Amino acid sequence: MIRRLLQRRRYMREHRWTHAHLSDYVDDDLSPHERERVEEHVSICPHCTRVLRTLRRTLQSLMDLPAEPHPSVADGVIERLRRER
Amino acid sequence: MSGPAPASDEPELVERSRAGDRSAFEELVRRHADRLYAVVLRFVADADEAEDVTQEAFLRAWRSIGSFEGRSRFFTWIYRIGINEAKRRTERKSPARAFGSIEDGPIEEAPDWSEAPEFRAEQGDLRRVLEDAVRALPPEYRAPLILRDVEGLSTQEAAEVMELGEAAFKSRLHRARLAVRRAVDRYYLEGER
Repeated sequence: MIRRLLQRRRYMREHRWTHAHLSDYVDDDLSPHERERVEEHVSICPHCTRVLRTLRRTLQSLMDLPAEPHPSVADGVIERLRRER
Repeated sequence: MSGPAPASDEPELVERSRAGDRSAFEELVRRHADRLYAVVLRFVADADEAEDVTQEAFLRAWRSIGSFEGRSRFFTWIYRIGINEAKRRTERKSPARAFGSIEDGPIEEAPDWSEAPEFRAEQGDLRRVLEDAVRALPPEYRAPLILRDVEGLSTQEAAEVMELGEAAFKSRLHRARLAVRRAVDRYYLEGER
């Protein structure tokens, strides 16, 4: 019973820590030991597995967001600078 | 990807601008105005306002170019001025909302959509979901995400624009990313109903 409680506490501690460090993991911004810590928890936590996979996909899609085509604004900026100097 | 590559003559253009050379400053405008506009447009979502913010940013930069000491790159400085102006206007329109509870609530069991073939940002619906989610972020979270994940600045560059330490910047970025990810979760959950 006590052992199970301790295991549960450890699991939740690792869950919170992993959840807080998923961005650092994706950005490859963790030490080797920390990476292992994330990977160990993710391997047994379906929620963190899903969050990690969908987080990666979200970031990829943000990068792919097409920019709105627009004419250059530089001339307008220069014109205002000349007017207001 | 990261910030715009500095042309080798950029420090000279900055120095000449500091000495009052208008044509040198106008060259800096030509090099950076369109990219700043694109960043600001992501932030304010209105083309006219984005253009006005871009103009205002360069006007302020010209007026205070004497105080720019060149310790950071010019684009970092002009982005900072532009983002601050965009934030100021956004906050004036809709005062800051509490952001503490985001991603702290109970876990929703959304499907794992990471392999969904239709998950492409250029798709109309999803693009709208992503853009709405970014714009729904409070300005202090929106800016890190736009700079780092949409515009592709490095963490160091984006933190510098925001005048934040890297740890504080990364913490905001992570929360912003989770909030946007969660918006896509909701999109898929609704699609299942």
